Amino acid sequence: MTTLQTAHEPALTFDFRPTLQANRLKGLWQMMSDYRLSYIAAAIALAISALSKTFTYILLRFFADDVLARKKYIGDSLTSSLVWIGLGFIGLAAFEGIFSFLSGRLAAYTAEGITRRLRDFLFDHIQRLSFSYHATTPTGDLIERVTSDVDALRRFFSEQAIGVGRIILLFVINFVAILNLNVKLALVSIVVIPLILLVSLWFFKKVTKAYEDYQAQEALLSTTLQENLTGVRVVKAFARQDYEKSKFEKDNWGKYLKGKILLFMHSMFWPLSDIVLGFQMLFGFVHGANMAIRGEISLGTYIAYIGLVVWLIWPIRNLGRIIVQTSTGMVSYARLMEVVKQQREPLLDGRHQPEGPARGDLLFEDVSFMYSDGKSDVLKNVSFHAKPGQAIALLGSTGSGKTSLVNLLPRFHEYTGGKVLLDGVELKEYSRSYLRKQIGIVEQEPFLFSRSIRENIIYGVGRDIAQEEVERAAKAAVVHDVILSFPDGYNTLVGEKGVTLSGGQKQRVAIARTLLKNPRILILDDSTSSVDTETEAEIREALNGLMKDRTTFIIAHRIQSVMVADLILVLDKGEVVQMGTHAELLKDKDGMYRRIYDIQTRIDAELEMEIARVN
Amino acid sequence: MSEDLLELEEEEFTSQLTAPVLKRIGGLLKPHWKWVLGFLLTIAITSALDAYFTYLNKQFIDQGIVLKDSARVMHLATIYGGFILIQSAAVFTFIYLAGVLGERIQYDLRKMLFNHLQDLSLSYYAQNAVGRLIARVTSDTGRVSDLLTWGIVDSTWAVMNITSSTIFMLIINWRLALIVLTIIPVMIFIAIEFRKKILAEFRVSRRANSRITGAYNENFQGTRVVKALGREDENTREFQGLTTRMYHASYRAAWLSALFLPTVQIIAALALGFIVGYGGLQIEIGLMTIGGIQAFVAYLTFMMWPIQDLARVYSEMQHSIASAERIFKLVDTPSEIHDRPDAIEAKTLLGEIEFDHVDFFYEDRKSVLTDFTLKVNPGEMIALVGPTGGGKSTIVNLLCRFYEPQNGVIRINGHDYMDYKLESIHNKIGIVLQTPHLFSGTVRENIRYGNLSANDEQVEEAAKIAGAHDFIAAGLEKGYEQNVGESGNLLSVGQKQLISLARAVLARPELFIMDEATSSVDTLTEALIQRGMDALMKGRTSFVIAHRLSTIRRANRILVIEDGKIAEQGSHAELLKLRGHYYRLYTQQFRHQLEVAYGVTEEVEVKEEEFESMAAD
Repeated sequence: MTTLQTAHEPALTFDFRPTLQANRLKGLWQMMSDYRLSYIAAAIALAISALSKTFTYILLRFFADDVLARKKYIGDSLTSSLVWIGLGFIGLAAFEGIFSFLSGRLAAYTAEGITRRLRDFLFDHIQRLSFSYHATTPTGDLIERVTSDVDALRRFFSEQAIGVGRIILLFVINFVAILNLNVKLALVSIVVIPLILLVSLWFFKKVTKAYEDYQAQEALLSTTLQENLTGVRVVKAFARQDYEKSKFEKDNWGKYLKGKILLFMHSMFWPLSDIVLGFQMLFGFVHGANMAIRGEISLGTYIAYIGLVVWLIWPIRNLGRIIVQTSTGMVSYARLMEVVKQQREPLLDGRHQPEGPARGDLLFEDVSFMYSDGKSDVLKNVSFHAKPGQAIALLGSTGSGKTSLVNLLPRFHEYTGGKVLLDGVELKEYSRSYLRKQIGIVEQEPFLFSRSIRENIIYGVGRDIAQEEVERAAKAAVVHDVILSFPDGYNTLVGEKGVTLSGGQKQRVAIARTLLKNPRILILDDSTSSVDTETEAEIREALNGLMKDRTTFIIAHRIQSVMVADLILVLDKGEVVQMGTHAELLKDKDGMYRRIYDIQTRIDAELEMEIARVN
Repeated sequence: MSEDLLELEEEEFTSQLTAPVLKRIGGLLKPHWKWVLGFLLTIAITSALDAYFTYLNKQFIDQGIVLKDSARVMHLATIYGGFILIQSAAVFTFIYLAGVLGERIQYDLRKMLFNHLQDLSLSYYAQNAVGRLIARVTSDTGRVSDLLTWGIVDSTWAVMNITSSTIFMLIINWRLALIVLTIIPVMIFIAIEFRKKILAEFRVSRRANSRITGAYNENFQGTRVVKALGREDENTREFQGLTTRMYHASYRAAWLSALFLPTVQIIAALALGFIVGYGGLQIEIGLMTIGGIQAFVAYLTFMMWPIQDLARVYSEMQHSIASAERIFKLVDTPSEIHDRPDAIEAKTLLGEIEFDHVDFFYEDRKSVLTDFTLKVNPGEMIALVGPTGGGKSTIVNLLCRFYEPQNGVIRINGHDYMDYKLESIHNKIGIVLQTPHLFSGTVRENIRYGNLSANDEQVEEAAKIAGAHDFIAAGLEKGYEQNVGESGNLLSVGQKQLISLARAVLARPELFIMDEATSSVDTLTEALIQRGMDALMKGRTSFVIAHRLSTIRRANRILVIEDGKIAEQGSHAELLKLRGHYYRLYTQQFRHQLEVAYGVTEEVEVKEEEFESMAAD
């Protein structure tokens, strides 16, 4: 895959692939592109806001020293000075408020903007990953990444990064301000800061671990609860209520104890750090007061100092907490990048781009296929020819390679040996997008989306479709009457919040959808399970309509469904062991086809015998 | 996803504060009143000291610096230091007391709910999704205990802080203090309105978030359809609609939060500006000190924290009370099925069982059984067959007394079974469900569930009888000590069935009930299950909701249940002769099962293996 080829794909979302960096901080910086300015602006606004607060205390100093003590008035009187100073306080507060709001808003803009972009990208990216990636990755794991990990990154931008910035800015600005007031006083005020920072880092690491323990216990409790509630019949049938109560009691009490440990840690840390920071403050106060008494600093300076020092000292103990939290953001970044780095399936790559639809002539020449782990051949030297409009039946048990064979057609998987030619051109020359437009797949129990039946029928057809056309397709698929029997007809929701469709009904919805799509090649999963005879007849009718004039591959393991096929391939362990029409295959007395046929005839015979026996 | 949404809806439900509910919530604290008193006292001390420290700072200035009295400074510092220690002790105490009490209340509530849930009848479970019940026990209890501990702590701290600050301000200068007093209610009001708006926006964004999760989930699960139909672009565009909604809601919530504190602060600053100006004049005429001004500045600057806390507690309180109401409602629900006051012990279930003109309908009032009559002899094996929804499961549910008939009588040994003690019926029943339910733990623990006092030998004996021993001993790495995973998910369906059979064997029931699985298992397992069932049914009355031919054929009597009635009954041969419902069901089933047996045996085994390797991951 070259960059030139991917350039064809529409850029629906911001591309996060360049943010894949070995250095996590560098990667996070890459993620911020387009938003860096606003984030920097947020930091600047934060600084302005912090400065305004600092200037409030400087103004207080001016008020005490210049206006009150030295009688240096603004204007000509005390009153006018006081009015100005009062307005100054209000103005500074307004400034502080406005910039603090701006900073918060810009940070939110950045964090929410990046998150939205990231969600969009991940959704788009993941659906374009290869079929084998999806087959091997559990849905739960992916969901965890796109929800929790994305949220951890959101918090990194909206709270943690800006939180660290805020505390550092407060510290620097107020420290510089106190330095300006008096160097000695400034140095005296920060003696314990390194200590408290280290201790809080240590504490929050510990507490994070204790919290994980607590949550693990909570998970245990939830499992016990869930199993009890879902297994209520078993509990009742064995009259095990008391046993269950004592089991729950154990987990419940365990959580209480774990919570107690956690709380003990908190109740030790906070007062202890209170003592340390409190005495640090007091030390500064006493020192400052004595300096003021000795005349080394003015009264106004002292007043400004006791206001400023609060903003210097107290935020530090939260710094430890936020720094520990950022580590979860880093871990989440790495977990997301594991998904981001996966190779996409290029949909549009392909040298051969025919204008119209395919004819549906498929030629397999010595086709082999094995999965990338290379353990064993799934398909071995498969050769046959399907002419346009023919029905090809694939017979064999699971693991024989039927599904793998049809999965090659839409290029869900790539064959590893031999050639597949569609209308004389090798499959690999066509783009996946083109091929998938030519192929319709009807599974035995297809996946339907939790939207209305109408939306499920027109799902992915890719053009505007009038209601009439939808109904025509539904009628042809013998599902129209079923749909009308639902309360909201075609607008009835499918799934948890709407109706539950039976396997056969789902299949017929998929048939209607495929009729609208009107593909040249059809893949039918016809390993019909135990549906009642009436439904089976309906499905058969719908299928026959669908198969007309299309090259059809039928996956089956019953003779009845393959008898009428133009060509039957009997597969065993990835190899075609027999090929021909029903009549031809029956002639081979030792063939697998004949064996399956005999078994099924025997079933009918046995049934008749049994009934005869009772009569 | 939908359960998520359900929970959100519930959360949005708020409640009016009514005296009885508040009283009942308060009642939860009653047994722990010493703890409550403890943390109330210590949080009050902490809070008052916070205000006092600011006052001490004023003294530093007015009595120390202005009067140039170093000794006074040292004296004040000693007091200050002493109070720091006292406050730290108070902080330790209230965090510990309130925190541990919170855990304790959660523990109490969970216990109360869980124990009550054990006693509720099956009809309650049918009406309430498990997800909701779990939310009751987990999130609702958390919210109530938060209100009762941290909610009280925060609001006490806030009220105490505002009160003591006000007192100190009144002491310093009562005229200026009155100005501050007038703006406090304004600040509180604005703060509460803000919090409500922010909370509402957060809910919108959580709702959007759960839609997004739903869309992810569906797209991942339906990936084959998406790829086959080439719908990637359109999906992304649709998804962008969802993330846009999410973006707007959470952005709005975030900037409203960012607006909240500045707004409150600016109002405080208006007062502050006035106080500095007016206070300056008063200093001139000796009514105010410079230290006093400093103290007012400090009090006003930090006033926003208690106000923020009050607003938060208040806005969340309504939701916590709604949680409490839901908890109380569950606890107040009586069990529909319980022992009669004069209930007697059922000595045996091995007697004649009779359904005498029984009517039954579920909560939706649609009748399931009407005028259902049936007599079963001791030791008889009854097979129930017929279409889904016909009433087979209901018959079994009534028989187990999971439900009771609305009309008519069910008799065991000639006695109305409602005269018996429930437990004495249940401990004589063995049941194997269609989807076998196991609990986390080892294989041994799961089998022993049938009889808690059984020793290891008896457990293994039961497993042998049920035909489960071989696969446990040979097939599982750790044998009987193998962990079965959450709900038994590490085992295959067939294995779970065998274990639940063994569990039923160990219970030595007199009445055996089985709902056969519809999903096919491999032939070998199938044979094992059959053998286990045979062993179990010997000398017992049994009811089987049957899907397998071999089971049906072995029954003493087959009942074809359709629309809540017995459509046909008799032995296999008798019913086949009728060429009616049973004949049709049987031939269809016959064809299908033999096909599976002959043609697709291999397929089923492969599936089983796949399942296991997946689960082992």
